[in-house]
Amino acid sequence: MFGRKKRQRDTGDGNRRQSPWVLARQRLRQHRPAVWSLRILVVLLFIALFADFIANVRPIYCRIEGRHYFPVAQQYAVSLGLSNWKPPFNGNNWRELTYEKAIMPLIPYSANTLDVYNGNYVGPFDKQKTKSPRYRHWLGTNRVGHDVAAGLVAGTRTAMLVGVVAMALATLIGVLLGSLAGYFGDQHLRLSRAAVLLYSLALAAGLYYAFIARSAAWMDGNLLVEIIKSISIIAVCLVFCHFLIKWFEKISVFKKPMQLPVDAIVVRLIEVLNAIPTLLLILSIIVLIKRPSIFYVMAIIGLVRWTGIARFVRGELLRIRQLGYIEAGRALGFSEWRILWRHALPNALSPVLIAIAFGIANAILLEAFLSFLGIGVSVDTVTWGTLLNEARSQPKAWWLAFFPGFAIFVSVTIFNLLGEGLNEALNPRLHR
Amino acid sequence: MWKFLARRLLIFLPTLIVISFLAFGLSTCTPGDPVMLFLNTGNNPGAQLSDPTSYEREYREMAASLGIDKPIFYFTITTSAYPDTLHRFVQKERRECVRALIARYGNWPQIAHYYRQVALLDRKLFQVKGQASSEALTRARATLPFLYIQDKDPLIRYHLDTLQFAFRSDSALLAAAGAQFDALNAAYGRVKQEATPSAHWLPALRWHGADNQYHRWLQRLLRGDLGVSYRDRLPVSDKLATALRWTLLINGLAILLAYGLAIPLGVYAAVHRGSRRDRLIAVVLFALHSLPVFWIATLMIIFFTTPEYGMDWFPTMGVGDIDKGDSGWQVIATRVSHLALPVICLTYGSLAFISRQMRSSMVEALEQDFVRTARAKGLRESVVIWKHAFRNALSPIITMLASVLPAAIAGSVVIEVIFGIPGMGKLTVDAIGAKDWPIVYAVLLLAAVVTMAGILLADILYGVIDPRVTLGKKKER
Repeated sequence: MFGRKKRQRDTGDGNRRQSPWVLARQRLRQHRPAVWSLRILVVLLFIALFADFIANVRPIYCRIEGRHYFPVAQQYAVSLGLSNWKPPFNGNNWRELTYEKAIMPLIPYSANTLDVYNGNYVGPFDKQKTKSPRYRHWLGTNRVGHDVAAGLVAGTRTAMLVGVVAMALATLIGVLLGSLAGYFGDQHLRLSRAAVLLYSLALAAGLYYAFIARSAAWMDGNLLVEIIKSISIIAVCLVFCHFLIKWFEKISVFKKPMQLPVDAIVVRLIEVLNAIPTLLLILSIIVLIKRPSIFYVMAIIGLVRWTGIARFVRGELLRIRQLGYIEAGRALGFSEWRILWRHALPNALSPVLIAIAFGIANAILLEAFLSFLGIGVSVDTVTWGTLLNEARSQPKAWWLAFFPGFAIFVSVTIFNLLGEGLNEALNPRLHR
Repeated sequence: MWKFLARRLLIFLPTLIVISFLAFGLSTCTPGDPVMLFLNTGNNPGAQLSDPTSYEREYREMAASLGIDKPIFYFTITTSAYPDTLHRFVQKERRECVRALIARYGNWPQIAHYYRQVALLDRKLFQVKGQASSEALTRARATLPFLYIQDKDPLIRYHLDTLQFAFRSDSALLAAAGAQFDALNAAYGRVKQEATPSAHWLPALRWHGADNQYHRWLQRLLRGDLGVSYRDRLPVSDKLATALRWTLLINGLAILLAYGLAIPLGVYAAVHRGSRRDRLIAVVLFALHSLPVFWIATLMIIFFTTPEYGMDWFPTMGVGDIDKGDSGWQVIATRVSHLALPVICLTYGSLAFISRQMRSSMVEALEQDFVRTARAKGLRESVVIWKHAFRNALSPIITMLASVLPAAIAGSVVIEVIFGIPGMGKLTVDAIGAKDWPIVYAVLLLAAVVTMAGILLADILYGVIDPRVTLGKKKER
């Protein structure tokens, strides 16, 4: 993706051969549903990014007693701890203030704004007690008077975040394990005995000093800081042993090469994960978490759903490693790792894109269902799933069932369509 | 055939063992203390306020009967600061507290001494009878239990100060238990002064042998004993058996229905590929595939089971009550009316998946040479399609059973919860709500076994349908 310009210049001199990525892009453009899904995706991403400017009880700009304020922007500063609310803004009095002039967001409610006058399930077409049509709840309210449209906007942000973060994690794990398994197979990853011994020792020591020996720090410290510290401890251990290997390899006993059956290990791991229905696995992990948060949901989905990507990468690399240019690379004396990362893997990534598109659809669906059950998300988080769940207690409120479900449907569909389009654009077998 | 089966089962074994580690490991991480749950719901709810020694004995007995008074696994890897007898603190809260104290200060002997002083003072305070004024004594007794479970220094100091205040305000209490309190104070001071956090730098491997929780759990598992439910003390296996029946019933119906609809659809689309109808089928199936099951299920519940919109056609929840006097037809009618919506919801999701597979493998089969030969022979088109192409296109569909089954079980979690069908999914979600962990992890295990059985079944069917695949031989690589 990033190398496109350079590649075009390379091929631009005389011979008109186009890079496979350019061809794929052209083919994707011809796939109309995929193009439309991309457009809708851009809209959804826009809503997710600028959710605070689209649905907010605070005005984007306002003038009170001759002074100018930008409350939505200030909200970011406050949540970062850089600023705090001063009078006339204190607490949740946004709706009582009288503005001389104000630019309100498109939906003048936040997801958790209580509209006490319009509580108890007011429908989109019902009579609403609002100041002006500008403050109408276009998609209705729930029992306590939350605006459904504002909830949908907040839910868009959660859904996109879950899809992107979970699949980023899954892609990282899947590509790493899948490429090792597919490229090296069971026979081709040869390390000296010293390397195997020292790396496993380093890993064990790293895990010990990162987690077991530092349990006191884990109890009191900030979770993010501790994770970073632990990862760096493990990294230091590995790097230290990496330099020791050369010394050990001088002894002939340690120099003997060993085969690491990476493929067997990875395939077994995939088998174990696939033998357990994903939803049950995620449910039984998520209930262990004491303080539920959407970020744990993302992490767990990512940790569980990498198997599809790993399988794709593995399959593709099993094919690629037989090709002539890999052998040419070996003949040129490139190291195995260089061939894998620079030459083999980039050509195996197209099926990954397809798997990622379907995976995001799946992750969004999983998160929506988890919050539908009320498992794994904190009580005050508004997502599409929690909104849909509220419909179950009041059959009369069809808008609570219809709109959030429709939002889930749309986002799942566009990612599925995108996957389809990518599949047609990238799969060379379909064009022969 | 039998050799193949035996080898397949042998391959499953390591996977099963890993899954058992996973299920057991997760179940030991569950929050809450099951013994407290049992003691509190048991016959004497005020147990904790009674005599500490007898309470401890009761607790110990209950923990032993639940099998959680043993070390967790065959071995533990800890730091050298921890003793290998930590599991003897049977009470979970206290064990966690001691563990946290060791993590902070690293000096086990001093901590053990401090903890013994807490217990001694507890007993002393219980023995103090009416001679002390009730207010100070009540306060001391109310404060002391916190020392058992607190490991943060400011909180421990706060509770010690509260105790000191109680002792100062009452001379009789001071006379009765003051010396013990001073010993406790001194013990805590020594814990902090003689801290040896450097003990954590050395790893230690503690071997516990076969007398551990996992070993006993596995033994009982192999005997078919999955433990008892925390909620009603019924055997988990009984509850699972009832639930599994419903799950298998609705999934079986749905899969049958899905295959029954998807195969003709897929074949039709493949035979007429490229036509307008083929494209229409593709679009409709894709839309169905993208419709979230729990959304459609919720919409169905709202529109078809409530009188709100004038379409009250189906009963709302559950599987219906069967009276003793009902005839067979009445029973079937009740069940059908209750299960119709859930089965529809379960079916449409896999329908798209299966029929797309069917179409693509049928397209592939129709392009083969033998199909052309069959046509050239002058066979009727229906014979060509069903007898020649279809039979060759069937094997991928059969193997798909392996992936349809786990998807269906996971998907039925959703359906069961929404439609209130007492299957495994609803059992799990209800158990999570009630913190009834043995059920949650038993379901996890069972679902894995069912899934693997599905994979095995698909393998066998593959060989039965496609004679080119010989099960006995190992595949060439």
